[in-house]
This record gives sequence, C-alpha cells and structure tokens, in this order.
Amino acid sequence: MSKRIFQVSSFTPTAQADGVLSAGTFAALKAGSATDILKIGKVLLEGQASSSAVTATCLARSSTLAITPTALALPNTDAPANIAATAVTTVPVAMVAAATAPNRSPAVTIPRLNLTFNAFGGIIQWQTNPGSEEEWVSVGTATTSNSETVLSSANVGAAGLIGANIFYEVL
Amino acid sequence: MKQMGYLMVDHRASPGLTEQQALIAGYDPKLSGEGKVYEADTMTCAHCKNVVVKNPRRTRDRPHCYQCDHYICDFCAVKAQTSDVHMPFSKYLDLTLTQAALGSPPDLLRSTQ
Repeated sequence: MSKRIFQVSSFTPTAQADGVLSAGTFAALKAGSATDILKIGKVLLEGQASSSAVTATCLARSSTLAITPTALALPNTDAPANIAATAVTTVPVAMVAAATAPNRSPAVTIPRLNLTFNAFGGIIQWQTNPGSEEEWVSVGTATTSNSETVLSSANVGAAGLIGANIFYEVL
Repeated sequence: MKQMGYLMVDHRASPGLTEQQALIAGYDPKLSGEGKVYEADTMTCAHCKNVVVKNPRRTRDRPHCYQCDHYICDFCAVKAQTSDVHMPFSKYLDLTLTQAALGSPPDLLRSTQ
C-alpha cells in the first residue's frame, strides 16, 4: 500500500507519567483491521513553543489500547502521501483523543523511542530506510503493547507546543 | 544507503538543551546546545522492534541473533540466552495474522464438563 502521513498540526504533549494519557496530549495510531500491519518509517516533530521548553516526547506502545477513539478532525489529518494512491481496504485509526485514552506502557521491556528536544525552535527527526527491518512495526487492532503506537511526553520538564508528522505504511 | 535508522535533533534555531538535559536524554551535550545539530545512527531489535540509539562509545559487543542475522537489543539478548524459544517479531506477526485469518480455535466452544 502507499505511504501515509498522520499529522497533528499543533498540540502540547504535556509531560506525564506512564499510564492513561490526558486527552489532547498524545497522538496515537493503530491498524484498522486485525490483519493489517503498520510500519512507521519516519517521525518528524517541529517545535512551536514561544519560549524555551524541553519536551521529552517519546514514541511508545499502549499497554491498554484506547477505547472509542474520537474521529480525527481538521486541522489534523491522516491520508496517503500520494494523492493518486489506491485506497486502503481498512483505514487505520489515527487519534488525538478517545473516550478512554490509551495507556502508555510502563513496562521496562516494551520498546520506546526517546525524542527529546527543545520545542522553542527545535526540530527532531527519526527515520529509517523504507522497507528495511529498522522500521517501527505494529500489527492488528487489539494486542496490548503492540497494536497501538502512541506519541506523548515523558514526565520530564514542561513540554511546549509542537507539530507532529508520522510517516507510515499499511501492509 | 546503510541499513540503519537515523536520528537528527536540530537546535540550529533554538536554545537547545542544557548539558544536564542532554545527558538525561542520552545525547552528546556538545551537540545538543544552542545552534547545534545532533545526529546518530539507530538500530532496531529484530525480536522486539525496540529502536536503540547507537552509543559510539560502547566497547562491549552488540548482540546479534544469528538465526535472524540481525541486531537484537540487550534485553532480548538476555532472553535469548535464557530461553530456548526463538521468537523474532516477524514470527510474532505471522502468528497474529494466521490467528486473525483462522479465527478463534474450535476448542474455545467445547464444554469442559
């Protein structure tokens, strides 16, 4: 399938401990079908804060998946990068809020990518080779600490306003 | 293109991180302050898909799974030494997708009495 971009225009990933995340402080993504695999190949975060704000964002997995995600609304978007792309059979679920927000996995042995930067003018980018085994992979819709990926901030400092872009592919 | 991930922390237009903050985040403090760009290779574990920022000062061997012929993280290296079951993430994907395609096993519907 084609590459997709899930972008959140502007939000503050408030610093918070592992556990159920507050609405509007995270960006989460999971497959739309039990047989879909999502491969995240690039994460690009742009700082939008108006004063110095060390923002300890991290890409992590949910130990309890979000329940009843709120449909994504503008200015946030999730769509194929190629305008002429074939539509995916089941659209992935991209969200910034849910009736019950995701629970960022607190386990030491569950993967997490630390993306700390200063949101006052800072930019951070993590990317892999397309199609390589270095990509961040999740599968299905219901497996804890696997199916759902969540971008949020660790409980360090005072996070600032950021914009987030997650480039991924549905297989 | 080399087979690794790439991390870039760009503070060219930012006050950046203090030395202490950079150390906590695992970056080189000299490359994380105002006007600096920190770049690093990342590697992904074949078993758990954890992304690891490569520490250039590491002198210990980096674990490698010879069955996957790929890097594995330190946690999975310990598991691999203590468990006989080889469980790469790709195998986990296979199992999950097979289970999703086949549905629940019929044994679930059988009465135990």
